[in-house]
Amino acid sequence: MKNILKIFMRDLKTARRDSMALIIIIMPIVLAIGITLFTPGLADTTVNLALLKNDDPAHIQYMENFAKVELFDTRQDAIARVQKRDDVAAVIRKDKSYEIILQGNEPNMVENYAASLSALYETGQTIEASNVTLYSFGQSTSPIKTMLVNMLISMTIMLAGMLIAISIVGEKADNTINAVNVTPVSQTEFVLGKTLLGGFIALVSIIIALLITGYDDINWLMILLVGVSSMALSLIIGFLMGLMSDDVIEAATNVKMIMLPVAGSILGYELLAANWQWTMYWSPFYWAYKANQLVLSKTADWPSVLLSTGMVLLLTLLVYFAAKPKIRKGLS
Amino acid sequence: MKLLSSYIKEMKIAARGFYFYIEIGMAVIILAVLLFAVNEFPTSSAKEFIYYDMSKEIKSLMLQEELDDGTLELAEPTQIKMKAALFSVKNKETNETKTYTYDEEIYHLDTYKVFDQKTGKLQKTIIETGSEDDLIRLAWQEKTIGAAVGMNEAGEASTRYYLQGYETARFQNLLYILQNESPATLQAAMDGMTITKLENAELLNTRQSLVPLLVVLMGALMGFFIAIAYIFLDKDEGVIRAYAVTPSTVWKYLLSKLLVIITTVIVSSSIFTIPVMGAQPHYLLFYTLLIVSSFAFSSLGILIATFFDSMSKTFGALYVFLIAMMLPAFSYYVPSFDPLWLRFFPTYPLLQGMKEIMMKSTDVNYVLLFSGVYLAGGIFLFLFANLRFKKTLAV
Repeated sequence: MKNILKIFMRDLKTARRDSMALIIIIMPIVLAIGITLFTPGLADTTVNLALLKNDDPAHIQYMENFAKVELFDTRQDAIARVQKRDDVAAVIRKDKSYEIILQGNEPNMVENYAASLSALYETGQTIEASNVTLYSFGQSTSPIKTMLVNMLISMTIMLAGMLIAISIVGEKADNTINAVNVTPVSQTEFVLGKTLLGGFIALVSIIIALLITGYDDINWLMILLVGVSSMALSLIIGFLMGLMSDDVIEAATNVKMIMLPVAGSILGYELLAANWQWTMYWSPFYWAYKANQLVLSKTADWPSVLLSTGMVLLLTLLVYFAAKPKIRKGLS
Repeated sequence: MKLLSSYIKEMKIAARGFYFYIEIGMAVIILAVLLFAVNEFPTSSAKEFIYYDMSKEIKSLMLQEELDDGTLELAEPTQIKMKAALFSVKNKETNETKTYTYDEEIYHLDTYKVFDQKTGKLQKTIIETGSEDDLIRLAWQEKTIGAAVGMNEAGEASTRYYLQGYETARFQNLLYILQNESPATLQAAMDGMTITKLENAELLNTRQSLVPLLVVLMGALMGFFIAIAYIFLDKDEGVIRAYAVTPSTVWKYLLSKLLVIITTVIVSSSIFTIPVMGAQPHYLLFYTLLIVSSFAFSSLGILIATFFDSMSKTFGALYVFLIAMMLPAFSYYVPSFDPLWLRFFPTYPLLQGMKEIMMKSTDVNYVLLFSGVYLAGGIFLFLFANLRFKKTLAV
C-alpha cells in the first residue's frame, strides 16, 4: 500500500508539472458549463417559421406562442431564409388562406407542424378556449441534458484511460518500467499506483461537473459506485493500450479503437429497441452508461445499479485476466 | 522529386506500422456496423400512453373508424414491470399537488399500433391503461407524457396531460390547442392550404445520414490527431532536426507526413462510403473536399504540435478541439437547432458539404466554396507551421 501511494504521489507531482491532472479536472468542468448553457437551446426545438412583417399582427402573435418566428420585409426575403441550411418554413398569406413554403429537404415533421399550426389558427383555436389541463411531475432536467452529462462522464473516464496509455508510452520511452523491475515495488503495485492518479482525478472532476450541471440531488453513493467500477475498466484498458503501444502513434490509434465500443454502447443503449438491448450485454461500457442513466434520471433502484455495476466489474475482470499475460510481458 | 521520394518512404514506413492497418480495420468495422446494424428505414419506436376516461361504447365509437380503415390495429398486450414509486403531481393551473405511492407490480396493457394512412408505415404505438392512476404512474416511470382523454361536464372533449416538467412553454401551448378541434376539421383546413416546395430533394436514409458524420470524424478530425502524434514521434527520434542537415527541406518532410495521412483518410473513408452510398454521391466533389479538409485539419495539427514538447502536454488542446469540433453534429441531426455561433465551427460547413455531396441534388457552389476555404486555410496553416518549425529547430 505504501509503495502504491508513493507511485501515486510521484505521478501526482509529475502530472502537475505536465498539466495532465489539470486537463482531466478542467476539461469536464468546461464541458459541464457548456452543457448547462447549450441544452436549453437544443431542447427548445419546435419549428422555425418565417413570416412577413406586413402580416396580420394577430397571426404573428399567435404563431409566436408555438414556434420561433423570424420576420421579413418581402416574400423573396422569406424565401431566401427558407433556402438556408437549417429547417425553416415560410407561412405567407395567399388569398383567404396561407401558403407554406419549404425548401423541400426538411423532415415531414416540419411540414406537418407548420400546416397544423396554420390550420389551428384558421379554425380559430385559442389557448383560452382550451379544454386541456396540464399536470407536471416537476422534473427540471431534460433527457437531452441527462444524455449529454452521461456522455461527459463516459468521456472523462475514457480520458483517464487515454492519459494512462500515453503516460505508459512515456515511461517506456524513458525506460522507467525496466528500472521498476529492479526496485522493491512489485508489478501489481506499479500497475495500481499508475492507475490511481487517473481514477482519483477523474472522479473528482466528474463530481464537480455533476454539481455544475445541477445534478446535486442524485444518489451520490450509486453514482460513485458506478464511477469507480467503470473507471477500473477504463484504467486497465488504458494501461494495456500503453503497454501494447511502442510509440505515441500506436497509442493514439489504440485509443481510437477503444472509442468504438464506447460510442457503440452509447448508441446501442439510446437507439436499440428494448427487445434488442441484449445484443449490447457484452459491453461493460453499456452497463456503465445504463447505470449512470438510471441514477441521473433518478429512476435507479439498488438491484438495478448493483446488477449493472456487477456486470461492469465482471467484464473488467475478464478483460484483466485475458490481458494479464500481455501486461506481465509488457512490464518485464 | 524529393517530395515524392519522401512520400513513398513515409508510406513504406506507415505500411510497416500498425496505424495504417488499424485505420483500415476500423473502416471495415464501421462498414459492417452500417450494413448490418443500422436499418435504412427504422420502424418508429414512438410510444404514447393514454387512458380513455369514457364508456367502452364511446371509446369503440371513437376508435372504430381508424380500426376499420387499417390505420389503427390492436396488437399483443404490453407487459411492463412497474417499480415501487413515490412522487408528486402538480396541477399547473391550480397548483394543487397530489402525492402517489406505489409498490412493485406488473402491468399487462392493451396496445394499439398506428400506421400512416399514405405509406402504411408504423407511426407510433399507443399503450392504453385501465385507470388514470395507472397512466400517471406509467408516465412517471417511463419519463414520457401521459394523456387522459375524456369528456367534461358540458359533454365536450377534454384532455389531461401529465408532463415531466421540462417541456418548453411553446410545446405546452401547443398541447393546449391541439385537441380543440376534430382531426377531420383540421385536415380540411390543411387541405385548403398551398404547400410549395422550392426543390424536389430526396432525403438521406438513416444509414446514409451517418456517412458524412463518420467521414468527418474518421477523416478530418482523426487526421488532426494523427498529425500531432506523427510530429511528436519524429521529434522524440530527432528526425526533424536531422532534416536540417540533409539536402531536403522541412516543408517537404511535413508535406510528406500530411500526404500519408491524406492517403490513409482516402482509403479508410472509401471503404465505408462507396459500399453504403453506391453511385449516388458526386465523387469528384467528395474526394476534393475530403483531401482539402484533411490537409487543413492535419496542418492545424502540426501547427499545434509546434507549441508543445510532448503528446501528453498537447492533450488538453487536442481534447478541447475534438469535442468542440463535434458540436456541429447537433445541428446536423437537429436542423431546427442552428444557432449562428455554431456556423463558425470549421466542421459545420464540412458536415453540411459532405451531406450535400451524398444527396442526389448537390449544391455544387457550396461545396466548391468551402473546398476553396479549406484549401486556403490549409495552405496558410501549413506555411505557418513550417515557419514555426524553422524557428524552433536548434541545429
